[in-house]
Amino acid sequence: METLLQTLPTWITFSPLLGVILLLFIPRTQSGLLKGVGMLATLPPLALALLLFGQFDGTSDKIQFSQKVDWFTLTLAKESGVTGSFTYNMGIDGLSMPLIVLAAIIFSLAAVASMYIKERHKEYFILFLLLEVGILGVFMAHNLLLFFLFFELTLVTTFFLIGIWGYLSREKAANHFLLYNGIGSAVMLIAFIVLFFLTQTMDFAELKAILANPDFLQWIKEANLQWLLWSTLIGILIAFGVKLPIFPFHSWMLRVHVEAPPSVVMLHSGVMLKMGAYGLLRFGVELFPTYVKEIATLLAILGLVNILYGAILAFRQRDLKRVLAYSSISHMGFILFGIASLNVIGLQGAVFQAVSHGFISALLFFIIASLYERTKTTMIDELGGLSQVMPILSGIFLAAALALLGLPGMSGFISELLAFLGLFDRAPVIAVIGALGLILATVYALRAVLSTTFGALATEWKNVKDTRIVETLPMLLLLGLIIGVGIYPSVLSDPMQATLQMIASRMGG
Amino acid sequence: MPVTSYLVLAAILFCIGLYGVLTKRNAVIVLLSIELMLSAANINFVAFSKYGLYANVTGQVFSLFSIAVTAAEAAVGLAILIALYRRRGTVEMDQFHSLKG
Amino acid sequence: MIKFAWIIPLFPLVAFLLLMIGRRKLSEGAAASIGVAGVLASLSLSVAVFLERLQSPSNYVATFDWLRIDQVMVTMGIEVDALGTLMLLVVSLVSFLVFVYARGYMRGDQRFSTFYAYLSLFAFAMLSLVLSPNLLQIYLFWELVGVGSFLLIGFWTFKPEAKAAAKKAFVVTRIGDVAFFVAILLTFWKVGSLELSQVFAAVESGQLAPEIVTTIAILIFIGAVGKSGQFPLHTWLPDAMEGPTPVSALIHAATMVAAGVYLVARTYPLFLASPIAMDVVAYVGVFTAIFAATIALVQNDIKRVLAYSTVSQLGYMMFALGSAGYVAGIFHLTTHAFFKALLFLAAGAVIVSCQRQQDIRQMGGLWAKNRTVGSLFLIGALAIAGVPPLSGFFSKDAILLAAYQDGRYIVFLVGVLAAFLTAFYVFRLFFLIFGGSYRGKEPVVSVPKVMVWPMIILAVFAVATGFVNFPTDAFANWLVEGNGIVAQTASTPWWLPVGMTILSIIGIAMAWILYGKRSVAVSSFGEPGPLPYRLLARKYYVDEIYDRVFVRSLKGLGLILQAFDRFIIEGLVKGIAGIISWLGRIGSRLQNGQAQSYVLVSLIGLILLVVSFTAGRLLK
Repeated sequence: METLLQTLPTWITFSPLLGVILLLFIPRTQSGLLKGVGMLATLPPLALALLLFGQFDGTSDKIQFSQKVDWFTLTLAKESGVTGSFTYNMGIDGLSMPLIVLAAIIFSLAAVASMYIKERHKEYFILFLLLEVGILGVFMAHNLLLFFLFFELTLVTTFFLIGIWGYLSREKAANHFLLYNGIGSAVMLIAFIVLFFLTQTMDFAELKAILANPDFLQWIKEANLQWLLWSTLIGILIAFGVKLPIFPFHSWMLRVHVEAPPSVVMLHSGVMLKMGAYGLLRFGVELFPTYVKEIATLLAILGLVNILYGAILAFRQRDLKRVLAYSSISHMGFILFGIASLNVIGLQGAVFQAVSHGFISALLFFIIASLYERTKTTMIDELGGLSQVMPILSGIFLAAALALLGLPGMSGFISELLAFLGLFDRAPVIAVIGALGLILATVYALRAVLSTTFGALATEWKNVKDTRIVETLPMLLLLGLIIGVGIYPSVLSDPMQATLQMIASRMGG
Repeated sequence: MPVTSYLVLAAILFCIGLYGVLTKRNAVIVLLSIELMLSAANINFVAFSKYGLYANVTGQVFSLFSIAVTAAEAAVGLAILIALYRRRGTVEMDQFHSLKG
Repeated sequence: MIKFAWIIPLFPLVAFLLLMIGRRKLSEGAAASIGVAGVLASLSLSVAVFLERLQSPSNYVATFDWLRIDQVMVTMGIEVDALGTLMLLVVSLVSFLVFVYARGYMRGDQRFSTFYAYLSLFAFAMLSLVLSPNLLQIYLFWELVGVGSFLLIGFWTFKPEAKAAAKKAFVVTRIGDVAFFVAILLTFWKVGSLELSQVFAAVESGQLAPEIVTTIAILIFIGAVGKSGQFPLHTWLPDAMEGPTPVSALIHAATMVAAGVYLVARTYPLFLASPIAMDVVAYVGVFTAIFAATIALVQNDIKRVLAYSTVSQLGYMMFALGSAGYVAGIFHLTTHAFFKALLFLAAGAVIVSCQRQQDIRQMGGLWAKNRTVGSLFLIGALAIAGVPPLSGFFSKDAILLAAYQDGRYIVFLVGVLAAFLTAFYVFRLFFLIFGGSYRGKEPVVSVPKVMVWPMIILAVFAVATGFVNFPTDAFANWLVEGNGIVAQTASTPWWLPVGMTILSIIGIAMAWILYGKRSVAVSSFGEPGPLPYRLLARKYYVDEIYDRVFVRSLKGLGLILQAFDRFIIEGLVKGIAGIISWLGRIGSRLQNGQAQSYVLVSLIGLILLVVSFTAGRLLK
């Protein structure tokens, strides 16, 4: 038990590989077995993540379960003997813990939603589990190179998951995904390399210490290298801004949400967008606190644009999936609000929003997937009156829409409250304008749910069946999580408090 | 300046060969042009082995090697050409463009 | 007993959960029993709490830590004060009666258990709302009652009008809610706490600048405007009548719409500290009162008339509060809850007996066919018209007195006019429904017993409630004891009650002359009338204006942004992708498969290299 706890990050990250190995030995014709193994293989990381949740010390702002092994060394300049050593460095703190638990939960539920996958189960589940390794690794890596490797792993696996198992124009969507995210991660790599050459380290904790070191800052000032740090920060903002996505880098994400298979959209919207938020917080705010402080107003305005732009466009869409895609853009604006507020309340709101939106959007995409299974369409105009034939699904859909629009008592409200509270102290005008987004959210969320489930029932849907128990249970579980976190938010906010306090204090807020 | 005249001869031969390689469409002529270029190289070997800064016999021996390799190369080249001719019915160089990107 | 007040809302919550789980299996009787049992338990406990609170005039507070926001601990819990106790009693009593009534009204509905589940959810939220000790908890349940209302308005999901009305109700009230939300943000940063007691303490100690107090108060009032259907956010309330009639009685007459008034009353110290906020409340309230009363004059849907009447009466309560008439506002809230619920339930009975007909042009002569319902409706109508000694007379009197004493003479006069109009339109309704002869096509059916006796109980309350504050000021003294708000004690000038009574009777008489004696042909109602009539019939075109100004402009903006997204942003992406593939095409042209051209290229490269190296040597 002791050793398990000491190496917990590694165990969590690589435990999905167990499933990959098992899957390799199963013949591809046995699709039932493949599905079963694939779904069960997401349970070990979930169990370990829950163990982590139980063992995590919320009062500490240190990196916990830290694990550090020397990896390899590079000689940078022969004459001066400068070397850069790379370590395999994994750890968990209050910022990553909620996201790890979120990822583990959403993966298990997305595995259930993988029942809608009709072909090539073996490859599918192998890629699926590799994606899980990548995502969990991203949240735990404390070395820039290691982070980058995990980050790329998510990119490659997602590319194939979209390109092979998606809907009609899946290949185009996969290409768009790769184009944007490829550019994003290239920019990120360049930024990391610049940091490496400035500091000779890729270890996150060392990097953070060096960047805050007065001597180093003095040297930067004397060598007139501030522009280099600024461009590094901007590179990081772009790299993770594409992922989040920040307007105007959002168009790839619409295609992905429309074309990718439902389970992958659940993951994508539920977890992978949050990698953007995590990256912004980890590499933007935590490494460059003083610089971020100077561009806080810009971030707030970007957040405002995201919120209003996404909300207004969500209101115009005819396809349910696109409504949700634009609503994701809108909701990611709240994360920017949280970051821009520069205080612990706002940061808490940002992380809270990441987790809460993860649950909500995963639930909504699950619902839409099971709707599509039955009706073969997600166009709002073609649907209507479904509550008469599928009351359970409609009820859950309604509840999820209410969560989406930030109803108190559900998790979305807490995150919006915290994000707005945080920003209000700093930029009250922007916060108040942003509050209009709450009204717009009501408009588009209700429009989406009412025009599909209320009203007159078209004859072609007369024989549509309601959800089966295997679909209902995961949905109810997600709904339970959303309501649970909404009613008792301390369960989520307490463990992150200490870490975010530390980050916020570095910004002087 | 005896070495200069040898080198000039070799250079002229090489240029003729190069011109042939670049312009001729018939693959056989291209092959012959390559032989010319190789002969130019052989002349240089021999010339330097006699009048070079460190004159010794290695250059002449190396030119023998080179001639042997050239012969082998010509044989293989012609064999490929014949195979190509059987397959495509032509030895025109510009017909062979299946490597086009 | 007061210690157990926190259990009061939990009964309906349990009922809600049970009903949701057993949605399919429960019979109508079982479902209704569960729902009724839930509110009955709440009612009994509320009565117990009320009785205890009558004897010991001190507030009971119990909270637990809920969420730490930086240094501030936000709590959840209950605070039992006089206002809250009164609201508990009113809400649980009306809920109980409506729950019983709905057993008859909703008979045979496919989603009978779901209906009770939603009603229970609403009761839970409403009861929790009135127990809340802090702004955040109020907001939480404030939204939750909104959801309950939304679900119940849209209960008949297959009706497109119900769908539209539900959406409209949610969105319009949400506009107010966002203002309330901003008020919470502002309070958090300026006071450092969301507890109402600390907010009031901060106001009292002068810690808050006057303009901040005004801003917070007005923002809270905007929230109340949304919920209580005050102008300009009133448009959802008449549309909400698409919901089943018990819902209209409970939510859109007695309880939820009064939550706005309750909110203003609950945060009254903020308003008292800001004269501007008081002015805003008074003028918005009185404008709404007269505005809605005029619209109610010409509506032809029985429930819509009552809905506009509700809007108007809520306006009364608001301007009472704005005129420092704290007790008067709450008093009217209480009496209105009873007589308006009675009117709605009676209207529901009328609708049932006319086989779901709601158009008053298709009714008439029902007095002869159903005298019980007729007399119950008459009691409600007399109460709202302000005829002594019914409850409405006393509370309306108190409100007008408050406006008069506060020196708001314009408000007072407009209020008097609105009172006259009220008497007129409600008796127009009465005479058109019960007087004359039956004009409908469907035969009149009888009303189930289970629907009648809740109305009788409500009628008793509608008659008697007025006497809690007459002849002594017992009610007023109890309500304000210990909360620092001064009740008006000045005696009523003799001419006010007398004048008001005469005015009401004139209104009733005019209604009788016009509609009772049939001097206006009912058939002419639908025809285009003179301009003022059309203006009223179309509700001053407010819906149309909102549609043009807000909905269309939002849609237009959406269209523009959509085009922007599709052509500019997507175009940018396509442009970048295009440039890259163009570069690729140029590159691939070099690779033409001709060995000779490859050689040529390498030759050129070689020459370039040689030349540049040589040149480099030479230049050195």
